[in-house]
Amino acid sequence: MNAPHPVLHPQTHLHKVALQSKEYKDNVNPFWCPGCGHHGVLTSLLRALSEVGVDPNFLVNISGIGCSSRLPYFVKSYKMHTLHGRAGPVATGAQLARPDLAIVVSGGDGDGFSIGGGHMPHLARKNVNVTYVLMDNHVYGLTKCQASPTSRREMKTVTTPYGGVEEPLDPVLYMLTYGASYVAQSYAANAKLTTRLIKEGMEHKGFAFINVLSHCPTFNEVDDAKSFKEASDEVTAEHDVTDLDAAMHVVNMATRAGRIPTGLLYKVERPTLDERMAELVQRVGGHADYDLKQIIDLSRP
Amino acid sequence: MTKHDLIIRIAGEGGEGIISAGDMITQACARAGLDVYTFKTFPAEIKGGYAMYQLRASSERLYNQGDSFDVLCAFNGEAYDLNHTRLQPGTVLVYDSPGGDFEPDIPEGVHAYPIPMTATAKDLKSPRAKNMVALGALSQLFDIPEASLREVIAAKFARKGDTVVQANLTAFAQGRALAAAQTKTDAYAVEHAKEKRDVVVMSGNHAIGLGALIAGLDFYSAYPITPATEIAQYVARHLPKRGGTLIQAEDEIASISQVVGASYAGKKAMTATSGPGLSLMSEMLGMAFMSETPCVVVDVQRGGPSTGLPTKHEQSDLFLAVHGSHGDAGRIVLAVESVQDCIGLTVQAFNLAEKYQVPVLLLSDGSLAFSTQTIPYPDPDSYQKVERKRWDGEGEYKRYAQTEDHISPMADPGTHGATHIATGLEHNELGMPNYTPANHEAMQAKRFGKLKDVVTDFPAAEIDGDGEAELGIIAWGSSIGVVREAVQRLRDEGRKVKGFYPKLLCPLPAGQFEAFGATCGRLLIPEVNYQGQLAHFVRAETSLRPESYTVCGGLPFTPGMIVRKVKEMLA
Repeated sequence: MNAPHPVLHPQTHLHKVALQSKEYKDNVNPFWCPGCGHHGVLTSLLRALSEVGVDPNFLVNISGIGCSSRLPYFVKSYKMHTLHGRAGPVATGAQLARPDLAIVVSGGDGDGFSIGGGHMPHLARKNVNVTYVLMDNHVYGLTKCQASPTSRREMKTVTTPYGGVEEPLDPVLYMLTYGASYVAQSYAANAKLTTRLIKEGMEHKGFAFINVLSHCPTFNEVDDAKSFKEASDEVTAEHDVTDLDAAMHVVNMATRAGRIPTGLLYKVERPTLDERMAELVQRVGGHADYDLKQIIDLSRP
Repeated sequence: MTKHDLIIRIAGEGGEGIISAGDMITQACARAGLDVYTFKTFPAEIKGGYAMYQLRASSERLYNQGDSFDVLCAFNGEAYDLNHTRLQPGTVLVYDSPGGDFEPDIPEGVHAYPIPMTATAKDLKSPRAKNMVALGALSQLFDIPEASLREVIAAKFARKGDTVVQANLTAFAQGRALAAAQTKTDAYAVEHAKEKRDVVVMSGNHAIGLGALIAGLDFYSAYPITPATEIAQYVARHLPKRGGTLIQAEDEIASISQVVGASYAGKKAMTATSGPGLSLMSEMLGMAFMSETPCVVVDVQRGGPSTGLPTKHEQSDLFLAVHGSHGDAGRIVLAVESVQDCIGLTVQAFNLAEKYQVPVLLLSDGSLAFSTQTIPYPDPDSYQKVERKRWDGEGEYKRYAQTEDHISPMADPGTHGATHIATGLEHNELGMPNYTPANHEAMQAKRFGKLKDVVTDFPAAEIDGDGEAELGIIAWGSSIGVVREAVQRLRDEGRKVKGFYPKLLCPLPAGQFEAFGATCGRLLIPEVNYQGQLAHFVRAETSLRPESYTVCGGLPFTPGMIVRKVKEMLA
């Protein structure tokens, strides 16, 4: 690859280049069904990468298991296709090991909030500097139509042939509660908004969570592209994104009215996990050449 | 056989300073140039409960905690009750009296020294210095180097100020005086060191932490679990000095996931756990094998199954370590014998992980975890350190290129022209998913092909003894140290016995086992587990038919147990 020489951007700590969005597309064709919302999410992601200008050599896409977790294959970058639910902690390790890398996690609602649900609070509270794009289609698609933690209760799936018995959870409400420093929501068909939210999420210093409602034309007949669009209420310019109460209020009011709040819901700046770690190392005067014998001498009798 | 060692057991209520008194004797003996090997048990509870510290000191090299004690120092009635059956004629009892909570009937032939530990500490208005009174008495009775002990006491309490130091030294002196006033009827004393040696005193857990630092550890992900936590404790304290990162994860699944992420990003990464944590890590170990991502996982084994006996000793995770993951998932498994090994084999574990791009599991165990031992000062520069093979930038980059030695060069993120995927899906040379029969066969052959060289690459297992033997004993983990002494004792009695001490358990060096077995009439494998796990692998992978000797009482073997078993077999 003959990429221009990367520049470490002082504001975002990212290695930058100038590339078209199509230049971020790897030469593997998406395996998703025709009409799947995930195609739209991928397009928005590629545009966002171009707008941010991140060097693909310093970009790592990390996913778990599921339809949406195939996304890294289609993006020109370093990438890891890991285990069901484990993309978050894998990304945490990679980010802490190499804070100069731009890391994008992608996955679905089952991957992130069912099997991987135990990791979500910790990505948020620790403020791990990664961008998490959750492609939320309210169904397990790769295993052919089972209820997910975001499925509507009445939805009929192969495991709920008479309709379900459980209430769904709301990913954005959880992430606000868990202390994520950037929480946003969009829907796949709104490429403009999705692109902006991913771009701003990548430029945000800290854990950025973007829930993208993504229609599954094959297994979810209830939540189609049209229904997401019609139910969407984008937050207005008056919404104070630094006010957690306001963000929770917007989400709760919308949910009660059967609406979907979209746009940037919450964004605050606080130290990231890798920054705190670097500060700790500095505080103890740590450096790679620290003489091990000084440590070993502590064990002399 | 001349007795060169002295074994002292201090026992009482947790929180009475049992462990710190034991540690001080250990430190003082080490300062005086003696070899020390300690064994501790403590309650799973935070406060109270029975605590015990046994230390063995000698001018000769020590390999295990010994059979039983020569001297019991009982702080209370419970400690006496739990140990009095081992008070054989000729042994010594030092106990809290008058003024303690018990007054034992001294068994026939036992040398007894009542020392008013509680009462003296109270009189001195430093009730917490009961252990110092005991320490003084032990020092006087058994010639434990007084000057060294005084130094150690002063150093221990220096942070609390001179008043506290003096109070403890006074209690210590009082203990010595009380013992001096009694008539010594036994002949026990610690030996004087033959030479001054440059040593460190470390526990198995801390030594694993040090080994990792020497190996060039960059990233450690921790999750608390007994008896492995002190590894993280050591690394957390020292890794930041080297500019590295230790992070505590939300669970063991996250720990191993973070390790795999950090390793993909180009760093040397590890985690340490015990059996329950290793169970949770199994799936990601398979991913590490599939994606050929180097990583080191330490399992400090404890009593199982399930929550089991969290603070007790067992060697029962070998099956899990070798086979714990779905599909055919390979790995390398090493097991440490001693504190010395905890350094050297941890470095080896990193070297093997980096070279072969596989998960390496290092098995330690509950007694080694907390056992402190004197070892020669480890020179960090004397260890060879291996780095993963990285792409040279020539031609098209294929992450999983088929090569002669099956090892494909890696490329850290940030390397131009080498973007690639690490995936748990079966893949072709480029990392792209490929489920064809031919590809899966070829890639499994590649991944397992790498491991074929490990057996010849790793130092051959040590053989203890020459020529033909009536019986060969095969031991692994910390049982090796026990068997070493048993073999020596049996040989001293004229028995033709040999020992075989493998440290690499997977892939099993079957040829070495066969060669050893061919020189022995019969074979015995003592293991601290119920099923005879190593014996099972030996039967499966060699033509040998070893006999199993298994115990699982939460305690390690003693040399005497092995000697008795062998005599029984050869009777």
